[in-house]
Amino acid sequence: MVESIIETNGLTRSYGDICALKPLDLQVPEGEWLSVMGHSGSGKSTLMNLVGGLDRPTAGSLRVGGEDLLALSEDGLARFRREFVGIIFQQHHMVPYLTAVENVMLAQYFHSVPDEAEARSALERVGLGHRLKNRPGELSGGEQQRVCIARAIINSPKLLLGDEPTGNLDHKSTVMVMELLKELRAEERFTVIMVTHNQDVAAWGDRTIYLDDGVLVREERMKS
Amino acid sequence: MVAVKLIPHILSWAGIVLVLLRGFPGRRSVVTLTSISGFVIGVVGTFTLFRSFPGTVVFGIVTSALGVVFLLIWGISVASIYRSTGRGVTFLWVERLVNTSLCAGMVAAIAGVVAGAVGICRLPVTDKTVLGLSLLVPASGAVAYAVAYATLAIEKRLPKSFAVSPYGMPTAVAALLLFSSSSILRLDLFSPLSMKVMKFAHDFVHQFMESMLIPDHVFIQSYLWRYIGLLFGKEIGFWGGLFIWFTPALLVLLAGQFERLPPVAHIRQGAQRRKILAAAIRERRFRLVIPLISLLFFVAAAYQSRFPSVEYWDPKPIVVTATSSGEIIIPKKGEVDLEDGKLHKFLFNRGGKDARFFVLMGPAGQLTVDLDACAICKPDGYGQADGTVICYYCKTLIPLETVGKPGGCNPVPITFAEKDDGVHIDALTLINEWGNTVQSTSKIKEGGK
Repeated sequence: MVESIIETNGLTRSYGDICALKPLDLQVPEGEWLSVMGHSGSGKSTLMNLVGGLDRPTAGSLRVGGEDLLALSEDGLARFRREFVGIIFQQHHMVPYLTAVENVMLAQYFHSVPDEAEARSALERVGLGHRLKNRPGELSGGEQQRVCIARAIINSPKLLLGDEPTGNLDHKSTVMVMELLKELRAEERFTVIMVTHNQDVAAWGDRTIYLDDGVLVREERMKS
Repeated sequence: MVAVKLIPHILSWAGIVLVLLRGFPGRRSVVTLTSISGFVIGVVGTFTLFRSFPGTVVFGIVTSALGVVFLLIWGISVASIYRSTGRGVTFLWVERLVNTSLCAGMVAAIAGVVAGAVGICRLPVTDKTVLGLSLLVPASGAVAYAVAYATLAIEKRLPKSFAVSPYGMPTAVAALLLFSSSSILRLDLFSPLSMKVMKFAHDFVHQFMESMLIPDHVFIQSYLWRYIGLLFGKEIGFWGGLFIWFTPALLVLLAGQFERLPPVAHIRQGAQRRKILAAAIRERRFRLVIPLISLLFFVAAAYQSRFPSVEYWDPKPIVVTATSSGEIIIPKKGEVDLEDGKLHKFLFNRGGKDARFFVLMGPAGQLTVDLDACAICKPDGYGQADGTVICYYCKTLIPLETVGKPGGCNPVPITFAEKDDGVHIDALTLINEWGNTVQSTSKIKEGGK
């Protein structure tokens, strides 16, 4: 029996009168790739932010990797994000005046201590061994996302969150990024939660849940 | 007023107990008990010594104890820097000893004894009776207990990361002891240290250069004397003293900085490897806090020594003249009371030449007349405080008991006669003695010993 890495019970997030996420019960087994689909404003990113410790719920319970996120202080949450979670956003959010390898080292720095050799090897692993010294502006969209993947996995997270990481990419780059993620997941055995609008991207996962107006309306298990 | 004077000593003592508690984790009860006992023993023992021996002897004993502590710190700091070089030197038996209750108890007891001795030296020990002694035991015990209790409570609230290394702990204890003692003129260690350095530099340079320059050496020629004067200034003592004073704390700091990180090459996962390294680096950084604070206390001690808060009794010289028979007569109860135990300065002028001298009644009730200059230093004169006179030039403290005796940095004694109408001094002798003394000491430019 695979243990759940994420367990929510009545997880709710409201912003004033607006309830972005209505009471949600969800279990994600360790190592699963879960795709989250839904229209804009359906609560996908809210769910991801809560699970990643970027936001706090209004009500309900939330355990990630055995940690009760509601009980954690701000420092505790920061430590949780640092050591447990890797995040890839739609925008690359890299420091524009640092090179690719320096951007990866920045993630190492906030986690513990920088190690250039390890950062280089992470970039080589995502196929960017020839782009180490290039700044984000000198990289294509696909390459930028691959740097983001290297940055997200450099601290060996147990949970990788993707908030539409391929939203800005063409089909070819999307496939390349998804294949890379699949390969890395097989090696590192992390759990993936991928928020997407794209049915093809969602199909890379083991399971897809559909949110509508903050409510889980449907769940679909992919055929392997 | 006495209680106010004791505040810095009590705070220093609290700091010592705090460092000891952190330095010997898991030995709280031993450290608390032995530090309290040591403190009381230090207070009572020193008090008993004051009862049995003259003050100078007791101050000498306490100063020697402080000197031994300072030497020990030197040894420990050298060992720490040597160990940090990682030459495979391990003192396993020492490390095992450090982690025992015996070691914790001994260090706490010794620190307590010295701190107690320093504390009692701050007090004017006037009541030397058995009753005074019997009051002192519970009083010192109560102070030590209160300090230990409060410190224990503080220590429990300190974060775990506030660690004290085995080398940082003795450094901090020594720094606090020396800080505490530096406010007491007769226990100050920095001024005598500076003086010794100055004397050593002068003697060494003198002997070495004289043998090398006379006659001219092939490489070292006598024109070098022009530059050697720099080594004869009194600043050489100050800066040399500072170097010796700060080196132990600096070495311990450096040793902490050079401390090797744990081996992590065998850990496969990079993040885990870096996490272990980051934790070790953080711990190492925290361990630098105590040596850094110690360094600050060494600075404070040197500052207290250099700029003592004690106000010296330094009266303006009274102008005196000689009688037709060539005698200077100063009445015992005239403009000033010569028998009040204070230093009274006078100025005599003949033929445009000044001679400064003072009259003082020592603790034994004997009057003494001395030049306001010694045979070694520039004639900057003397001040009086805390049972001593101090040479303003080299900051040497001279116990009142020895004023009137010749030699060293003592004021040059002048022959005089004590009669009913006052003190009689031969004017010619005085002016000649002053002239000879000042002439010889002024030969050395900005010179000293």
